Amino acid sequence: MSAATSPVSTSSRAAAGPPSSASSPPRHKVPWTTRLKRDRSLLIMVAPAVLLLAVFAYVPMLGNVVAWQDYSPYVGILQSPFVGWANFERIFTNPLFLDAVLNTLIITAFQLVFFFPVPIVLALLLNSVLTPGLRTTIQSIVYLPHFFSWVIVVTIFQQIFGGAGLVASRLREAGYSGFDLMTNPDTFLLLITAQSVWKDAGWGIIIFLAALATVDPQLYEASVVDGAGRWRRMWHVTLPALRPVIILLLILRLGDALTVGFEQLILQRGAVGTEVAEVLDTFVYYQGVVNGDWAFAAAAGLVKGLVSLALVLGANKLAHLVGEAGVYQKA
Amino acid sequence: MTASQLTGGINRRSFLSFLAVGAAVAGVPSLLTACTAGSGGPAAAPGAVTAANLPAYVPVEYAKPDFPSVNGSTPGYVTMPERLVAAFDTPPGSGGTYTAMTPLWTTIPSTEGNAYFDAVNEAIGTTVKFQISDGNTYGDKLAAVLASAKDLPDWVCVPSWNVPPRFPQAVEALFQDLTPFLAGDKVKKYKNLANIPTDAWRICTFDDKLYGLPFPGEVVGNAIFYRADIFAELGIEAAPTTADDLLDLAKEVTDPSKKRWGANDLWLAANMMFGVTPADRWKQGDAGKLIHRIETEEYRAALEWQTKLYASGAVHPDAVADRPEAGKPNFEAGNSLIAADGLGAWPEALDRMKGVNPDFDMRPFPVFAAGGGDPVLWKGSPANIFSFLKKNDDTAKIEELLAVADFLASPFGTAEFNLINFGVEGTHYELDENGLPAPTDRAASEVAGTYVFLVDPPVVNAKVQYPDYVEAFCTWQADAAQYLAEDLFYGMQISEPAQFAALKAPFEALEKDIARGRKTMADLDEAVATWKSSGGDELRAFYQEILDNK
Repeated sequence: MSAATSPVSTSSRAAAGPPSSASSPPRHKVPWTTRLKRDRSLLIMVAPAVLLLAVFAYVPMLGNVVAWQDYSPYVGILQSPFVGWANFERIFTNPLFLDAVLNTLIITAFQLVFFFPVPIVLALLLNSVLTPGLRTTIQSIVYLPHFFSWVIVVTIFQQIFGGAGLVASRLREAGYSGFDLMTNPDTFLLLITAQSVWKDAGWGIIIFLAALATVDPQLYEASVVDGAGRWRRMWHVTLPALRPVIILLLILRLGDALTVGFEQLILQRGAVGTEVAEVLDTFVYYQGVVNGDWAFAAAAGLVKGLVSLALVLGANKLAHLVGEAGVYQKA
Repeated sequence: MTASQLTGGINRRSFLSFLAVGAAVAGVPSLLTACTAGSGGPAAAPGAVTAANLPAYVPVEYAKPDFPSVNGSTPGYVTMPERLVAAFDTPPGSGGTYTAMTPLWTTIPSTEGNAYFDAVNEAIGTTVKFQISDGNTYGDKLAAVLASAKDLPDWVCVPSWNVPPRFPQAVEALFQDLTPFLAGDKVKKYKNLANIPTDAWRICTFDDKLYGLPFPGEVVGNAIFYRADIFAELGIEAAPTTADDLLDLAKEVTDPSKKRWGANDLWLAANMMFGVTPADRWKQGDAGKLIHRIETEEYRAALEWQTKLYASGAVHPDAVADRPEAGKPNFEAGNSLIAADGLGAWPEALDRMKGVNPDFDMRPFPVFAAGGGDPVLWKGSPANIFSFLKKNDDTAKIEELLAVADFLASPFGTAEFNLINFGVEGTHYELDENGLPAPTDRAASEVAGTYVFLVDPPVVNAKVQYPDYVEAFCTWQADAAQYLAEDLFYGMQISEPAQFAALKAPFEALEKDIARGRKTMADLDEAVATWKSSGGDELRAFYQEILDNK
């Protein structure tokens, strides 16, 4: 994405001067040897990170070549025959893959609406608690579930909402039978979202609390003087202060749109069936590792990566359009 | 995960007799699923084995069984021989140190400072360092380990239901060909290995070469168990003779207000009652055409019965939620009263419940057919678990490991068998007044059956510490053994070409969905049609050719 294709980026808006001439800006005239000399210490500082990325991210990425092979780990990449785009063709003609994509998107969309805002609301509420002791206590309690593994979370839910669980037994005593939230495919979306909220909403507030801490108290004081009530202060002071963080997290979330709780879903896939619980990640796992179709799974993973990249770029562009910095922008 | 779910209840000698009631592993890559095509060299006809490549069979018997084998059933012992024979005067090993990977279905003990492992290693004269993994998730670990050759231990246990696709390629690339060491009379150097029947070795051959060391299996591997103690308490006579009887019984004892449900998942039981063809196996139709198990009437009937069972509300909610790991605890706690499981689950449960509930009593129902009359039980594979040695150019090392294997294969009646199975006298067990080993508390935390997964003598029931159980077991199995039948490809190691690996994948999920009413038999028809058009018919031709060459 070049500066030319994003005319509304913040930097160009901020440059209130006359439009830059067609000729390249003066900084480009500095020869690269001079720039190298000038930035030497910065480059040295960045070198270890680049090396780490190269060794642990970019070199392994070369392994994606198996997506174009009939790959077997026992004969290796070099000996496995190339099969062109066959694996990709199989992906797009496989109804199970399309089901998995659809389920993934449904879960993402649902959680974007019903999970994403929860930490923001929690942070705002917590921010209004003034007693430091109480605030720390609440904070600790809502953070805690984040440190439980999914196995434990799912087991706790099973013990409470399962067919032999706490709620079902109480209901049975009261004469209502047949309650089993854990095996109902129709309410599965609500169930996994509830689990996510319980486990991770508390953890999610950290970043918003940090953003709230940076709001200048004078702004509140000034708005109080101007006669702003509680809601007006939130609308005109607090939320605008949170906006860049919210947009940033939204973009990151969109980049992850095709990644929805692998562990959480694999643990409950059997309980509700693949119809609603098979998502891209579980699909790749079952095809690749369990069925030993590594190349097919690699191709599916690659498609997922490309779509995610497109989503991030798109969301970032959108952020620029509404005047936010987004994840990154061209200088 | 899939494999683990399906084999959740399986223990040494209790593992599903997969060829017999293989339904439980549908969808799990099986031993037979893999690629020989393209693995180089003119491969022998699939499944064919040259007799000269198999070890000679030289049986030895150290103790007469109290319950002899009937129709191939497992012989049992309830007494210890007066004198144990020492099969080895000196430790057979030559002081090397090797790593070994095995599953375990109970709490994994520490191998450091463990008197049991130390004692066995000392007796062998070789240090075997174990990497033990939870048996329920062993397949996941195995798939990853096999795919990364440099992490491969020297000795690897491979249960047949955990075998990943393309396994023959892995065997050829990673493991030592044992034919030059054990074929024909060469095995006589290892007298206890020579005591293992030929059938068990035959299924350890890949591409006509002997690669594996067997853990011999039982002819009947599974049973439908019920809680005899609780049934007696309820005053219910439990002897179902048809599938409908079993369903009614499960409904009758269900009482959720007392936290009591009739059954765990009974897919395994349904397969037994309806005589469904084993996983990956075929039967011959009227016109001689091969019919895959998923196409058979029996398979459909078993599924329809499962659907009725789930709809009746008699299945424990944990089983409905597909949490197989909760099955044993629920059965042992009396929360579910009927469970289909491998036979080895029985003594394991006795071990666990001995101190907890002295009244605990589980029994297998006598075998019956779904519609009454004589059932068809598919004979269990001669070996369901194999172990393989990592390739090594140093023949001395391979020979040392084979000498160790020879030690581990010492049959009942030898001091070596007692050491491997019961631990050290005085530390792990005391002899009671009848001369039977009574395990100490320390045995529970130290004696872990991991050596047995590397290689095992021909199968016997030597749980002498539970004489009542051995008697019930042997009587039940002797009765069941009269109904045994061999499937068309019994005892053959067949490697399916890799392109068929994913064919059966949808069926495991489908079986669960249909049972729980989320999908219907119409979905099964559709899946079978897809199966046929996407390779099933080619697979049929592949097997037809093997059958024609037999």
